[in-house]
Amino acid sequence: MIPEGMHDVLPPETAELRAIENALCRRFEAYGYGEVRTPWLEFAETLEVAEDDTLEAGYRIYDQQGHELMLRTDMTVPVARLAASRYRDKPLPLRFFYVAPSIRPWAPQRSQDGEFQQAGAELLGLSSATADAECVTLLCDALAGLGLKGYRVALGTVAFYTALVDALGLPAHDREKFLEALADKDYPLLESIAGNAQADEAALKALWRTLELSGTRDGLSQARKLATSDAMEDAIQHLVEVRDLVDDAGFGDAVTFDFGLFQDLTYYSGVIFEAYARGVGLPLASGGRYDGLLERFEWDVPGVGFAISLDRLHDALEEAGAAPAAAPVCLTFVGGLEHPQQAMELRRAGWAVRALREGAAPQARPWLVREGNSYRLELAEGAATSGSWKDMLRALERA
Amino acid sequence: MRIGVATGGAGVPAALADVLEAAGLPAAALRTASAAALITVGDTTWVPASGADVLAGCVRGAFDAGIVGKDLLLEEDADVYELLDLGVGADAIVYATPRGPAAGRVRSRPRVATPYPRVTRRHFGATGSQVEVIGFGAAALAPALGIAPGVVDLRSRVAAAPLDLEVREEIAAVSLRLVAGRAAHALLADELVALLERLRPSREG
Repeated sequence: MIPEGMHDVLPPETAELRAIENALCRRFEAYGYGEVRTPWLEFAETLEVAEDDTLEAGYRIYDQQGHELMLRTDMTVPVARLAASRYRDKPLPLRFFYVAPSIRPWAPQRSQDGEFQQAGAELLGLSSATADAECVTLLCDALAGLGLKGYRVALGTVAFYTALVDALGLPAHDREKFLEALADKDYPLLESIAGNAQADEAALKALWRTLELSGTRDGLSQARKLATSDAMEDAIQHLVEVRDLVDDAGFGDAVTFDFGLFQDLTYYSGVIFEAYARGVGLPLASGGRYDGLLERFEWDVPGVGFAISLDRLHDALEEAGAAPAAAPVCLTFVGGLEHPQQAMELRRAGWAVRALREGAAPQARPWLVREGNSYRLELAEGAATSGSWKDMLRALERA
Repeated sequence: MRIGVATGGAGVPAALADVLEAAGLPAAALRTASAAALITVGDTTWVPASGADVLAGCVRGAFDAGIVGKDLLLEEDADVYELLDLGVGADAIVYATPRGPAAGRVRSRPRVATPYPRVTRRHFGATGSQVEVIGFGAAALAPALGIAPGVVDLRSRVAAAPLDLEVREEIAAVSLRLVAGRAAHALLADELVALLERLRPSREG
């Protein structure tokens, strides 16, 4: 038995996941990102700077000195902590990537596993659209490089909403509650807050229209029409710049706009994006700009990044018939345990060899059975040959 | 497009089929549809299913769009985009108790039976009243059965209860809504807008 929300991974899935991880690592390295690892445990107060509500229920323990520790609930905050504490006097920008599991309380209603593996990249020290575009490009490139077809990256911005909410003219307290309700997509609550606070009618109408028509191809022109302040115009202009740069990099077809995108992580401050593929309802990846996060570690440096959910990406690749080849074909060698020199000879020739005891039943083809001094090789059903060791080597070489 | 349609207990409501057909969608077959079937007409596939399954199918990317009651959307808090109020199946989630003075003493934490435990907890939590929420599908029967004196359920079900119930509060107005999961929203934005544009005038007409 294992705790709820945890799971084992068996072969060949593990090997497929490993192949996906390796391909992603090579992509990240191709853009000059350096791999980091951070500890499972951080001080609770370190993670709490993110002010993310999923943290409240995070797993906490105490060390021998009574410090409150927490199992990390994502990698963005630990990487920000690492950068702020160890790279303060280094030239900017900084580029990091990771492949790592995190743990959150199991939440089946949000389709959230307890433990989940992510591969992600963080670009620190640049606040421009060019940096946002590099991250979106890297994400597209990583997905396309694995052979995933028909995926889409929805591009939105927190800045548009915050500007829109500012135009509502809500008092500070209601504004906070309103943004929270927006993240939860709790429209009735939005209505009641706006009603009670006598929000600006025109701005409110614009908000409903945006929420309703987000995600469409003409969402951009819709949003342009709705923009009633310079801040909103700027937010839209920024997104267009990002999209154009991603287009120049060759991934324009994958990008759509979604002005309804609004994530519940309070540290996002500008561009946000999510990747989707057919057959997987949940986002494969999500990311965005978090300019205020490093400031919470007393280092005023902007950042942008994303994380890919390896399980969901694996599902999407399977759905698209593009799951990476797992382990190489393995040759079962009955008698190989007693004759390791022969097993080694086959391995040196490039075969993966699963050695069994003499007389054991060979379970999966291809198999090679040693019987006394003669051998029998069956590469596939009905494709058997018998003979000497040399015959076997020749037959295997041809296979 | 594959569209999940919540059937409730009694199949697809005729008024919903009317709205869909007025919008030019091939919905005639839905009128006689029983649950658990795939009904393909042209490039539209209808899937009549329970409301919870329609939501799960939308969240998991199996349905490109879904039609479910707002009551379920409020209760399940599912991660879907609510695109359009279809104006069909208008009802309300209400709090009701037996008419007349309360029998026996008023408890400091009154019991409330409901098929919507989360909506109920949220509502009473927000208004500061303490109640004991009892999940019970046929909530309108609960007072007559002695399970709980209070009921949170649809107005239509409360009105048909055997014991005369009086509505004390309206918690939320509900009706059938067109929804889409996040993936469909990103991958099929144009198709969804086309669907919205067909449905919007027919709903108003």
